[in-house]
Amino acid sequence: MIRIHRGRGGSVTRTAGVMRIVAAALLCCSLGAAGCSSKKAQGVDNLNGAGSQVGTETDKSTLEKNASGEGVIGGQGGPLTDIHFGYNDYTVQPQDSSILRANATWLQDHPDRNVQVEGNCDDRGSEEYNIALGAKRAQSAKDYLTTLGISPSRISTISYGKELPICHEQDESCWQQNRRDHFVVSGGQASR
Amino acid sequence: MTITGASAQTWPIAVSGLKNLAGDDSQSISSRFDRTLSRDLTLSGYYTLVDPHTFIEDPQKSGYQLGQFNFDDWKSIRAEFLVKGSVQVSGGKVQITARLFDVYQQRSMMGKTFSGDPDEVPRMARRFADAVLEVVTGTKGPFDSKLAFVSTRRGRFKEIFTQSIDGQDLFQVTNNPTINLFPMWDHNADQLLYLSYKTMAPALYIANLVERRETRIDTHHGRIIGGAISPDGHRIVAAIENAGATNLYLMDSEGNEIRELSDTGGINVSPSFAPDGQALAFTSDRSGTPQVYTMSIEGGAPKRITYSGEYNTTPAISPKGDSIAYQSRSGGRFDIFKIPIAGGTPEMLTDGSGSNESASWSPDGRYIAFASTRGGRSRIYILQVESHKIISALTEGNGNDTNPSWSWWLGD
Repeated sequence: MIRIHRGRGGSVTRTAGVMRIVAAALLCCSLGAAGCSSKKAQGVDNLNGAGSQVGTETDKSTLEKNASGEGVIGGQGGPLTDIHFGYNDYTVQPQDSSILRANATWLQDHPDRNVQVEGNCDDRGSEEYNIALGAKRAQSAKDYLTTLGISPSRISTISYGKELPICHEQDESCWQQNRRDHFVVSGGQASR
Repeated sequence: MTITGASAQTWPIAVSGLKNLAGDDSQSISSRFDRTLSRDLTLSGYYTLVDPHTFIEDPQKSGYQLGQFNFDDWKSIRAEFLVKGSVQVSGGKVQITARLFDVYQQRSMMGKTFSGDPDEVPRMARRFADAVLEVVTGTKGPFDSKLAFVSTRRGRFKEIFTQSIDGQDLFQVTNNPTINLFPMWDHNADQLLYLSYKTMAPALYIANLVERRETRIDTHHGRIIGGAISPDGHRIVAAIENAGATNLYLMDSEGNEIRELSDTGGINVSPSFAPDGQALAFTSDRSGTPQVYTMSIEGGAPKRITYSGEYNTTPAISPKGDSIAYQSRSGGRFDIFKIPIAGGTPEMLTDGSGSNESASWSPDGRYIAFASTRGGRSRIYILQVESHKIISALTEGNGNDTNPSWSWWLGD
């Protein structure tokens, strides 16, 4: 069964088991206008905090950081370390298993914390295919951490495909840096 | 004269100004009509415009009907086709009559009269351009339609925009500082399906640009990362990711699941409907590399279409349903190819310059809009399929333009 959130008013109705959540979602500006005033548009597409999480030490996702102007930063952005992948590949590389073991140890030492694994790709593939590939990469890390004893309920995943590169040159070093799983730690409950 | 097929050859056409019968003393309406028509005729790839500076005749002093002007004035500047007409404004309404002449045979080929508001003048020109192509080539032109695309022109973020094919009426659909991708028109060009991360996770949205509201489609199967809307607007195929695997699901336009179309542990993405809505093409990695497949929306085993190349993705079925355009990787960049719907020999449509991605067919099937980095930053270009001629960029401005979607013809 598929849920649908449809925009019209402000109420929530149930029809035949299908939940319809209504959120006023007027599109910005009128047809034919040359553009939108950003103020007006902010009221339409505003960030309603759907990605925010409970907990005092909750880190923002890379997408939230990018949206708020903090940019895209990889590597040791938090207590956990990124891992990297081969071209068009989503298997954990042998040299990264020690990183995942260290990440698992940290999570075991901090049982009140959850993690979101962000899967990313280099920019040489097709966009939609890369979102799916990034999801595979995030899932690979989740599966690995799970086999190391971390409860899957503490691990959520998301893919940004090739949309949030940390390096913008066209060379193998850069592509390698972008083919990464980044780990964002949160307090409270995992969002997914 | 009937031109069948396209070639590198173009036909010289003169677009004369419209004779002002009333209310267009400044010729602002005439010039808007001429400018739009000239642009569309150029984009068609069939015509070269005769330089207006060489025109001998003054349209305000001559007539616009057969016998009221001298064909030799046009023959001597080597025009083979000629557009003339009139404009009349009264009560705030514009009436334009335009006519296409064959200069060498000295005959009228076609005439149309349009009336409407002043802001509808560019659309009148587009419809006339489409009619010119119809009478000369036998197939109506594709310019009375819209282009949707993704652009970073307003900042760092990928937002969805629309414009006319000839570059007017730019409209920003989304404005959120996240990621917006894969716009796709419905058949009426009233609604746009697109993917957005605006809630910090990907979801499909249907933006109704007429009623100014939008619908979000969610599923308990996982996260939607892409999708397509059927030609009749009643079906959606969504690519849904769950536990790392991405599969295709058929839904109704409300988002209720009809059936699962693929069930692999791998990647199945980028669905494209056939014109009858009964089949689709998509990308799957089930063979080990990304390749293009087709299948019935009733389900069943997919058929692999592409065999040459190790990375073939993002299929688009032609409006006639006889072929599939897709992108094939070579050396870290892409070219657009076309292959018969049943499989066969691929035909390379782009020329190896820059990276060429995201093919979208024009409604008449003679053109493909695609994103290319051939000029540095990514822009949307138009290519004539039969001749492989890359005619022009369709977008301009700062930022990168990607993910074109060419709509069906706009309604009356």
